[in-house]
Amino acid sequence: MYQVEASKALLKPRLWARGASRLKVPRNVVMLGMVSLLTDISSEMVATVLPMYLVFTLGASPLVFGAIDGTYRGAAAVVQVISGFSSDRWRRHKEVAGLGYGLSALGKVALVAAGNTIGGIGAIVAVDRVGKGIRTAPRDALISLSSAKDRLATSFGVHRAMDSVGAMLGPLFAFGILIAAPARFDAVFVVSTLFAVLGLAVLFLNVEGKPRRAPRTGTPPRFRAALGLLKDRSFAPLLLAAAGLSIASVSDALIYVGLQRTIDFEPALFPLLYVMTAIAFMGLAIPAGQLADRIGKVPVLLAGHALLLVVYAVLLMSSVGYILLILCLLALGGYFAATEGVITALAGAVLPESLQASGIGILITVVSLGRLVSSLAFGALWLELGLHNAVTIFAAALLVAMAIAAPLLLRAQRTPAHG
Amino acid sequence: MDRRSGKILIALAVVCLVIGGGYVAIAALGPSETTTDARPQATDVLDHTDVMVRAVEPSKPTLNGRVFVVDRGKVRQLPGEIACERVYYAGGEGLCLGVASSGVEYEATIFDSKMQPQHKITLTGLPSRARVSEDGRYGAMTVFVSGDSYLQAPSAFSTRTTIVEMATGKQLAQLEQFSVTKDGKPFDAVDFNFWGVTFAKDPNTFYATLGTGGKHYLVEGSVSERTMRVLRDGVECPSLSPDNRQIAYKSRIGNSERWHLRVLDLATLKDHAVAEDRSIDDQVEWLDDNTLAYSNGINVYTVPADGSGEAQLLVRDATSPVRLGAEQELPAFGR
Repeated sequence: MYQVEASKALLKPRLWARGASRLKVPRNVVMLGMVSLLTDISSEMVATVLPMYLVFTLGASPLVFGAIDGTYRGAAAVVQVISGFSSDRWRRHKEVAGLGYGLSALGKVALVAAGNTIGGIGAIVAVDRVGKGIRTAPRDALISLSSAKDRLATSFGVHRAMDSVGAMLGPLFAFGILIAAPARFDAVFVVSTLFAVLGLAVLFLNVEGKPRRAPRTGTPPRFRAALGLLKDRSFAPLLLAAAGLSIASVSDALIYVGLQRTIDFEPALFPLLYVMTAIAFMGLAIPAGQLADRIGKVPVLLAGHALLLVVYAVLLMSSVGYILLILCLLALGGYFAATEGVITALAGAVLPESLQASGIGILITVVSLGRLVSSLAFGALWLELGLHNAVTIFAAALLVAMAIAAPLLLRAQRTPAHG
Repeated sequence: MDRRSGKILIALAVVCLVIGGGYVAIAALGPSETTTDARPQATDVLDHTDVMVRAVEPSKPTLNGRVFVVDRGKVRQLPGEIACERVYYAGGEGLCLGVASSGVEYEATIFDSKMQPQHKITLTGLPSRARVSEDGRYGAMTVFVSGDSYLQAPSAFSTRTTIVEMATGKQLAQLEQFSVTKDGKPFDAVDFNFWGVTFAKDPNTFYATLGTGGKHYLVEGSVSERTMRVLRDGVECPSLSPDNRQIAYKSRIGNSERWHLRVLDLATLKDHAVAEDRSIDDQVEWLDDNTLAYSNGINVYTVPADGSGEAQLLVRDATSPVRLGAEQELPAFGR
């Protein structure tokens, strides 16, 4: 399975080198994609081996890590809004994003130096999460500000595809090192640190901090202006639509659990579910972005959620064969490709230049809160009414959310916001 | 990119390649682990009990996870190449959960009484618990799977437990696919996790832990009917005594990742603590109807099951104790 991953993933960057100019994606976006690719290699290398490292070197139960990780995810959401606004206020998106990337790189260095205690690893995971929270909003703002308004979705598609290539390569590199040097986790951490440093270097050397749409004149926005986005007549409908859609969307982790219950197949094949979804996402992110730029972001967003309805339908079937399973995973990957970057692109098109990072930070926070509510609600419904009924209710909820979201999104798209 | 920053970047990439490549090369080609005299050591607690253990020596791949037996106070290494994170043996069939020869995957090896591998099963996560029914018919294995995908950061760990037919190596079922009842009503939730199976003398009946919503239920299940029913809360990693009358288990202290060992009488449903004050994260093994054996991850200890006495060191530098009853053929003995 890793071989398949390898060849697919290795082919991609080369295609882009030629394809990037044909896609007419700004250099800055490709460079930001490169930063994410390198950083994702770095963090996925560590994420892949950390459970093994905890158990075999430190003798700790992996459950400890689950607890560590969950604790800091909430903190990251709050950090997002603050870092988004700060980078708008200081007009320093690149520097704030750099702080986030830098913190994660520091975490990797710390892992090499002091990663031999549970407490130490807990702190390092926390720093990594905070770093991720800091960098996301200003980085997406830079992508948006670097792109012409009618090319936004393609830009985000390219970035997300490159990002997922990094996430695929990371585990491969980690496994490669452990095959060459068994049990030498330190070698994995050292190489991971080097990738993080390279990512930072590309950011500082090759990413333009003041791209074409970046505001250069006028007074810096006040916090009140950022808060004003919550009742802005075009951004507020977008937030509302995003919240509704995310609440009605079952997370992929829960979808895999559902598939596991309904499909009788070799447990050893299970990791393939993730890999196939990721490959579909990687392959479809750019076409979905191009399509959104051509026919409109709203129809593509809605079509993406329709693909999620297909996934729900498969979950409702009593017996699922392999072909149907593959189609289901393709639909899931397509859903991510048609929604994840496209909604950010829509926000980028709607938001005023001076409040890009603030708005994107708020959007990401709203979506992640929506996902949290969704997971809790889905879990409760499953417990009370069973999997079948829970999926049926979520399918109905998603249809309603789509029906409500469609006019809201169209309204958001029509009227640009005023910061 | 202006030319200068491009050059700096290329130079930096080359430096990283040299450092990273060099570091990995040195790690890969560095001095191989030397063999050592350090190996599991028996203490004088033992006079006739026969126990199988796996060695703990993480820094020595040649020794770590190797299977030993303690026979009348003497420790001897069993032949064969298998290395296990967790091992069990009963009824002439052994189950070893360890790292696959590729070095990056985990696999279960079913081995025979001569320690020869019979079947291999790829595992989907970190080895946790292994058990074989007394007659060697069924095996059960629990692994930790991380909930991570390529699209979402790892959030939480869950467990997966599989029942296998030892003779054929066939995976019969995952406990996650059994139907569960609680107080006579169907019971299901998204966060169901099962771990720590123990088989009764009739191997169709088993006990295990069901974790859901912060509770840890003892369940009694049937392999053939693919059903389980909830018996009570607060029981993890149950282990049936040889006479099937008692269950030793680990009892969580509050909501922490710490556990005390307790023993439950199945007839009266009364339970009591045993004389072990440390936190123990293990599925206990019964050496006989009155004695528990378990590991703290470093050494193997024993303690009386009735709550009397005190914990005593049984084997140093070993985990995963397995009773090899007097009536049971010792694996690969007499070679």
